Amino acid sequence: MIDVGHFFILAVLLFSIGMVGVISRRNIFVMYMSIELMLNAVNLVLVALSHHHEDLNGQVMAIMIIAIAAAEASIFLALFVMLFKNARSLDANFFELLKQEKHND
Amino acid sequence: MIENVLLAWVIGAVFISSVSIMLIGLYEKHDENIPQNIYTILGLGGPFISLLFSVILINSFLDTGVKLDYQVFMWLDIEGFVIPASLILDSLSAAMLSFVSFVGFIIHIYAHAYMKDDPSYARFFSWFNLFMASMFLLILADNPFMLFIGWEGVGLCSYLLISFYFENEDNVQAGNKAFILNRIGDFGFISGLALLFVYIGDSGLNFSSLEANIHLIPHATLNLIAILLFIGAMGKSAQIPLYIWLPDAMAGPTPVSALIHAATMVTAGVYMVARFHFLYSITEEIGLFIAYIGAFSALLAALIALRQDDIKKILAYSTMSQLGYMFMAVGLGAYSYGIFHVFTHAFFKALLFMGAGAIILALHHEQDIKKMGALRSKMPFVFVMMLLATLAISGIPPFSGFFSKDAILNHLFASGHYLIFAMALFTAGLTSYYMFRLLLLVFISPAHKEHHLIKESTLIKLTLFVLSIGVVFTGLLNIPAFFGGNEDYSLWLNLPDIRYHISHSNELILLGSNILVALFGIGLAFSHYKSSSKDPSFGYLEIIIKNKFYIDELAHTLIVRPLKALSLFISDTLDEKIIDSFIHKVSSSYQRLSYYSDYVQNGNVRYYALYMSVGIVSIFMYLFIGGY
Amino acid sequence: MLSNIIFFTLSLTALGSAFAMIYFRQPINSALSFIVTLLSIAGLFALLGGSFLFLVQIIIYAGAVVTLILFIIMFLNIKEENLPHEPYKGRWILFMSLLISPFTAVLISSINSMEFSILHLKDFGSIKDVGMELFNHWVLPFEMVSILLLIALIGVIVLAKKEESHD
Repeated sequence: MIDVGHFFILAVLLFSIGMVGVISRRNIFVMYMSIELMLNAVNLVLVALSHHHEDLNGQVMAIMIIAIAAAEASIFLALFVMLFKNARSLDANFFELLKQEKHND
Repeated sequence: MIENVLLAWVIGAVFISSVSIMLIGLYEKHDENIPQNIYTILGLGGPFISLLFSVILINSFLDTGVKLDYQVFMWLDIEGFVIPASLILDSLSAAMLSFVSFVGFIIHIYAHAYMKDDPSYARFFSWFNLFMASMFLLILADNPFMLFIGWEGVGLCSYLLISFYFENEDNVQAGNKAFILNRIGDFGFISGLALLFVYIGDSGLNFSSLEANIHLIPHATLNLIAILLFIGAMGKSAQIPLYIWLPDAMAGPTPVSALIHAATMVTAGVYMVARFHFLYSITEEIGLFIAYIGAFSALLAALIALRQDDIKKILAYSTMSQLGYMFMAVGLGAYSYGIFHVFTHAFFKALLFMGAGAIILALHHEQDIKKMGALRSKMPFVFVMMLLATLAISGIPPFSGFFSKDAILNHLFASGHYLIFAMALFTAGLTSYYMFRLLLLVFISPAHKEHHLIKESTLIKLTLFVLSIGVVFTGLLNIPAFFGGNEDYSLWLNLPDIRYHISHSNELILLGSNILVALFGIGLAFSHYKSSSKDPSFGYLEIIIKNKFYIDELAHTLIVRPLKALSLFISDTLDEKIIDSFIHKVSSSYQRLSYYSDYVQNGNVRYYALYMSVGIVSIFMYLFIGGY
Repeated sequence: MLSNIIFFTLSLTALGSAFAMIYFRQPINSALSFIVTLLSIAGLFALLGGSFLFLVQIIIYAGAVVTLILFIIMFLNIKEENLPHEPYKGRWILFMSLLISPFTAVLISSINSMEFSILHLKDFGSIKDVGMELFNHWVLPFEMVSILLLIALIGVIVLAKKEESHD
């Protein structure tokens, strides 16, 4: 009774949870992990599709994605270390360099 | 015919001279000095050429009796609204042209002598010539719109010349007053013209077409048009209630007063009524209204003149009074008598003003007659000239004023409106009284202080002399049947006058009463002023009269102050607080919007992600839900 | 039948731990929940016949990536004051859920309207087949990913080195 569609639904839910996490939390670690969660949801979709079509390309793509995610993880964390060393805070709101200067007319 | 072109050149000559003086004057400001003679040649040459052309034209007209008309160019040719720039010379315009060009030229010569030492000589003559051009346009116009252009032009020049000595603010205010009151009259005039256009404009707007179609307009509207056009005349010719500018207009140089405010511009209103005779003949109630206004204006002006001390102001009120006579005449259908009085009045009033100017110059710009006296021995020539003119204005035969005034008075009596006649007769007495008061106080009664006189120039004396001939002899043009003449002038004018038959005996009585009233006035003046310059008092009435019946003050309180308050209200409250603040609020709301929009770009990546997700979700929703 | 039970268990675990991950305040707790999520997903991969992926997910994702995260968290010596102050965390999450829910709902409904075959365990996705596929058709991306990893390595060293030179 479980068909591939359920996997998709699960993937959608995971993706949504990831999206919620990225925007809602101020802790940069949690933000990062939510991004990874989204990537995993996509992986799930790929694998489900490959199962459905009996085509291995989906799995291979998922492998690629995992590899890239690993590379990006290292960079992310190096940056986090740098940021923490500078600002002593893990708050995403803290970094407001893009902010528009307020003018008092 | 070749002469027809001259119609345009009568106007063109003075217009060109005015413009050239203006241009040369502007050039002079930029570069070196131009000798005054150049301006003199241009300023006098223009009117002279216009006079020449006028003589040729009138000559031709008298010979052939054919109306000359000439279309200079087509001015407006819009569907249903056709106004050609065309001129016409019929007996009426010829009559006006004759004295306007001649008296105008003489006064230009006088003005040259008067303004010789003035630094703004060029400016004066450019405007003086421009005035002549506008006046010519006014009298030669073939349709009321061209007439109106001339009408406005003379109003403009009147304003420019009244405030000629603009360094003094009072003069500027006098100019403003004249222009504004004129404008009020113009408003009525334009409204009348608009109504005419609405009703009978389709079939042509020149006077002959209007005359042919005037009966198509319903009577009530005709009355309205007649009143509206007359309001224009009220403003231009200083009748009640739009007269208060005329005494103040004496702030201009004396040649201006002589030409504009005595001989020509102020008579434009009378000319207009005569021109529209086809309208006023069929709206007799309005004619009666005009006559009453004329009567009251004449009376009021004469009363005020009794106690004025400025020589020019007395003459100004006298002009207003005589204009009242003209309106009484044309109001009750005697168009020819009215125009004839315009004609004679031009001569003797101009002569009076020019003489007054000569006196003012001789006495170092003294204008108060109470400070003059016993000038007869020192300025005998001027005395004789002024005496002739004063006799004319008082209506003493055989001077011109007698013939014109007597004709009017007789007509008034015969028309059956005895109140008007009585007022006119009483005013005639007052006229002779105050005019002789002027003459006596200036020339005969003993002087209060010694004056060192400046010698009058010969040129001035010459001009005075030329006009005096006209004063004495123009009466001969219109000798009534009673004296054995044929009233050639009225006959020639060929206007639809109402003619009353007056029995011989009645006419004799009227003649006698007119002369007696005039002589009575003279005698009274002699008795009061021959040996003293004190005014005999007649009680509290004197104060009212001396203050010109407080009309100026009344106008100021009733009209000027509320208008000023209204305009202050609009400028301070309405404009600043409401309109400006509204605009300011609009602009400041944009500023505030941008201020708050700044919060969107808070540099926080999460928020950017939020905005992106909102965008994605909405687009997604639109694509999917909208698709279904 | 068995696959149903396994599926439901694994999916509930995944969802629960995912939600827990975004809810916890302490990053360590989040990381640990994340591991649980990853393991559940690995199980799901296995259910779908991706044996190699099942292994790779556990070894690399749960075993290397999250370990690295834990390592960094501990390396930074995060104290209580360094953690961000998040008073409205609950409200934010609620709000965002509401925002995302239409998106999710639409996707789910569109999935439901599609026809899918019932899941059955097949003989599919052996490691050998994946390897053949990978090295026959996907060589170029494979090599490029390795270059990418090299670049990431260099990048991290540069970043870390720069930081050290500032001290």
